[in-house]
Amino acid sequence: MNSSSRFFYHSARLVLGAVFIYASLDKQCNPWAFSQAVYNYQVLPDALINLTALILPWLELILGFCLILERWMMGASSLVAILMTIFMGLIIFNLARGLDINCGCFSTNPEEGPMDKLTLARDGLFLCLALGLAALTLYKKNIYNKNQIV
Amino acid sequence: MPTVFRQNLMKALQEACFIILLAVAAGLAVNLTRTDSIPFVQDWSAESRLSEDDGNSLAISLPEAEALFRENKAVFLDARDKALFDEGHIQGAKSLPWYEVDDYFQQVVPGMDRETPVITYCDGESCNLSHELTLFLKNMGFAEVRVLVNGWTVWTENNLPIETSDK
Repeated sequence: MNSSSRFFYHSARLVLGAVFIYASLDKQCNPWAFSQAVYNYQVLPDALINLTALILPWLELILGFCLILERWMMGASSLVAILMTIFMGLIIFNLARGLDINCGCFSTNPEEGPMDKLTLARDGLFLCLALGLAALTLYKKNIYNKNQIV
Repeated sequence: MPTVFRQNLMKALQEACFIILLAVAAGLAVNLTRTDSIPFVQDWSAESRLSEDDGNSLAISLPEAEALFRENKAVFLDARDKALFDEGHIQGAKSLPWYEVDDYFQQVVPGMDRETPVITYCDGESCNLSHELTLFLKNMGFAEVRVLVNGWTVWTENNLPIETSDK
């Protein structure tokens, strides 16, 4: 791994790790409010709304720690890329159909403004980081050899 | 290289399954132990969402809302975005967009009698803006605030009076 790839790898995992941990905190503290946010997206059947609201924040928290501590990187980076792709898809889908809802990405406060193109740009940036990190992790033969990446 | 990629992919799959299982176990277990836990499965129908703790519903039926409209006994508040309000709204309704409630509150609310019935509405069966606005207004001391579920659609489908902001 060359130095620029190494820089991207470590920067991306630390940034995404911090973002995922931060994003999980308010949802962990307010499961009811987050279930409302999940409901507002209007994409899940009723039976899956609360389960998603309970499990997703923990998934984000665990993924965040995996990235920061460099544990289970192949699984974690792949899951982060998949989650970011889903989040982006949902934002585009809801912006396209003109749904006036808040993102629920970092805060469960219903008074937070609705998602807009800025939300899309921000998540697009995170998605690029996540895809790059997953690709680097999966394609590099010796990514787990700490002697080569540190 | 393709072999390495395939091996890495298998490893990624195993690790991802393990992480997901961990998240499921943690999420469900912690919910069981916390005081503000939520049910794993819940009824998200409009009737259920609009039920208050005492069992009363915040929803108002279209005939009731229409009667209050005809007798001019209620204030209609449109919780949708201002641009949508300008394109068309229930005749005589005032715009109080939920996402800009702090900005519009001072323009709309001071002239209102807190004992007068208020009917909030937005658009869509699952639109939550009018519900949030209703809870906010009740908290501000308004005695009778109700939600006309899917208000804009049911109002226009029944050819009830509407207007645009230009008129």
